[in-house]
Amino acid sequence: MYRYDEFDHAFVSARVEQFKDQVERRLAGELTEEQFRPLRLMNGVYLQLHAYMLRVAIPYGTLSSRQMRKLAHIARHYDRGYGHFTTRQNLQYNWPALADMPKVLDELASVEMHALQTSGNCIRNVTADHFAGAAADEVADPRPYAEILRQWSSMHPEFSYLPRKFKIAVTGAERDRAAIQVHDIGLQLKKNEAGELGFAVYVGGGQGRTPMVAKKVRDFLPVEDLLTYTTAIVRVYNLNGRRDNKYKARIKILVHETGTEEIIRQIEAEWEAIRDTDLKMPQRDIDAIDEYFRAPNLAQRPEGWSKLASERKADPAFARWVDQNVTPHKNPDYGVVTISLKPIGGIPGDATDAQMDLVAEIAEKFSQDEIRVSHEQNLVLPHVAIADLRIVYDLLLTDGLATANAGLITDIIACPGLDYCALANARSIPVAQRISERFGSPERQSDIGELKIKISGCINACGHHHVGHIGILGVEKKGEELYQISLGGSGDEICTIGDITGRGFSSEEIVDAVETIVDRYLEIRADKEESFLATYRRLGAAPFKNALYGETANAA
Amino acid sequence: MTETTEQAKEGLWGREGFREDPYVTAESLEDAGDAAAVILPLAAWLALPEDVRFDTNRKIGVSIAPGEKIDPLLPSLDRIPLIALQFPAFNDGRSYSKAELLKSQHNFKGELRAVGDVLIDQVAYMLRTGFDTLKVAHAVTLSRLAAHNLHDAPVYYQPGRGSHTVPGAYSWRRIPGA
Repeated sequence: MYRYDEFDHAFVSARVEQFKDQVERRLAGELTEEQFRPLRLMNGVYLQLHAYMLRVAIPYGTLSSRQMRKLAHIARHYDRGYGHFTTRQNLQYNWPALADMPKVLDELASVEMHALQTSGNCIRNVTADHFAGAAADEVADPRPYAEILRQWSSMHPEFSYLPRKFKIAVTGAERDRAAIQVHDIGLQLKKNEAGELGFAVYVGGGQGRTPMVAKKVRDFLPVEDLLTYTTAIVRVYNLNGRRDNKYKARIKILVHETGTEEIIRQIEAEWEAIRDTDLKMPQRDIDAIDEYFRAPNLAQRPEGWSKLASERKADPAFARWVDQNVTPHKNPDYGVVTISLKPIGGIPGDATDAQMDLVAEIAEKFSQDEIRVSHEQNLVLPHVAIADLRIVYDLLLTDGLATANAGLITDIIACPGLDYCALANARSIPVAQRISERFGSPERQSDIGELKIKISGCINACGHHHVGHIGILGVEKKGEELYQISLGGSGDEICTIGDITGRGFSSEEIVDAVETIVDRYLEIRADKEESFLATYRRLGAAPFKNALYGETANAA
Repeated sequence: MTETTEQAKEGLWGREGFREDPYVTAESLEDAGDAAAVILPLAAWLALPEDVRFDTNRKIGVSIAPGEKIDPLLPSLDRIPLIALQFPAFNDGRSYSKAELLKSQHNFKGELRAVGDVLIDQVAYMLRTGFDTLKVAHAVTLSRLAAHNLHDAPVYYQPGRGSHTVPGAYSWRRIPGA
């Protein structure tokens, strides 16, 4: 893991001191809420429906046990005993008092964390594949590059007042677990024919009210050019992105309105002018950052496989959890464990202080002191020996963390929605809870197979509904909450935006509507191996629309 | 275009502190009277005949709004004494990129000035992207600048003016100090 050096410490503590001064001035009435707003946003403090909300950055979703314990401590002492893990691999506290914020930031700084650039029109927390450094299918670990981008983008003098927020995601595998094509910049590490490391670069993806899949602007960018090329992209955006309309200000609109060819021309022209400047990275710097992320020395644990076989036989629930929540590791004696934060009927992404402490303890003993936050609002233990799976499972079971539903229909992404968020039009969490309960039976879920439901409480799409296999968008119509369904979205390497089915459903109807779609899928899938998404891609929307609205509705 | 506001409420500030502003901001050369140094809007500047535009007897600077491009200035940068980049709203960041382009890529040697809604938290960014002077109207900014409180960071994660490299540190890191 990356460790702060003196430089990083000096930077973060100066920012905390500065914010302390600002909070004091606000509390003393020297700053109005209006004047305070841009200052608090730079420090991740939002004013929500009921209270201030603090969004803590978890760079590329990587945490140590010590950091997780600190997050638990903050939840216990400054919030109501829980935190909410978000789709941007961050953590939100919903109830801290403004007067406590500087103390909380101090606590965070003591474990090398902060809340900088988790809001505002700047380059936001850089996200990465949550299986980075562990996944069997990885070309290279994306986190060193995410860390370099984190540093370079921190308080960037030229890029802190962009037209709109700017999100970068990095992945190191062909299989895209970081949804890079719905980010402002998506970077995919790959090797060229000479075996050199570089990036395929995607620009202009995003969700929100105008969802778009990113365009590939470069097939191979040598890693040393990461910062010069990124600078070129962001500069073209800063100069030319629209500022007349907040809803048309993201780079996706610029790319769309300018045309891919022309935007590539502009980026390349800018890059030509700066590619050999100070930002071209010497290999020794890349190596030095890389060193922080060196794979841990994992002991050989070959006994795991025979042990696992008998453990599985003895306990079908454990076997189901292993099948669903454990993913292949680079080292065959190990597995990558997904800890579901989606208990049946629970609030997606919420974790109590006790649960955070438990995960910290397990990670310390059984996962090389490492934890990840996934953009699917789950936690990940990246390095667990197959031989230790049973004991890890038993520990997780003690506090409701062993739900065997990773990637299944109850592994729902949902934004905080109208229960917390000042922007929301409709509630998301209760809908997620009811769907989860409806499909909660392990047998039923397992029969349905991989199916991603994503729910947003407004058009801003924080719940990623556009890339849900089944997406649900809450809207408000004549004072009623109404839910629109889209189908066939996907945030992976074959990235698609879902198609809206038709008229929306009331809060009472929405769960039945989802069930109707799922039942139709079960009737028409080629066989059990054909996933919902594959079936949708083969047959299109018609069978599902018919099921929802009847044959006539589909005639037009 | 910005009207000439009451000079008393504004201040011209550079790294060395407040200074007298020799320039008069005007909509046209006629409006400027016989002032020795004038800042004109881009359109007015472009409309001048070359011999007037680059008249060596008076200084004529150009003011660029966020939506205007700097391209028309590029062929004659070495003959322009001052470019004023406007910040009509604090959250419009286009002028930062233009400053960077003018100073780093096009080697502009004249005075680069930021004009408009300059918040104290932005001053350090402006200096680092290449601005030489700031024409400040914001009262809090004025008082903070007078107290020499720049709200700067102790270390930078990016190269830029007014900073230097640290031996052995990552190539993108800098510490403040010219």
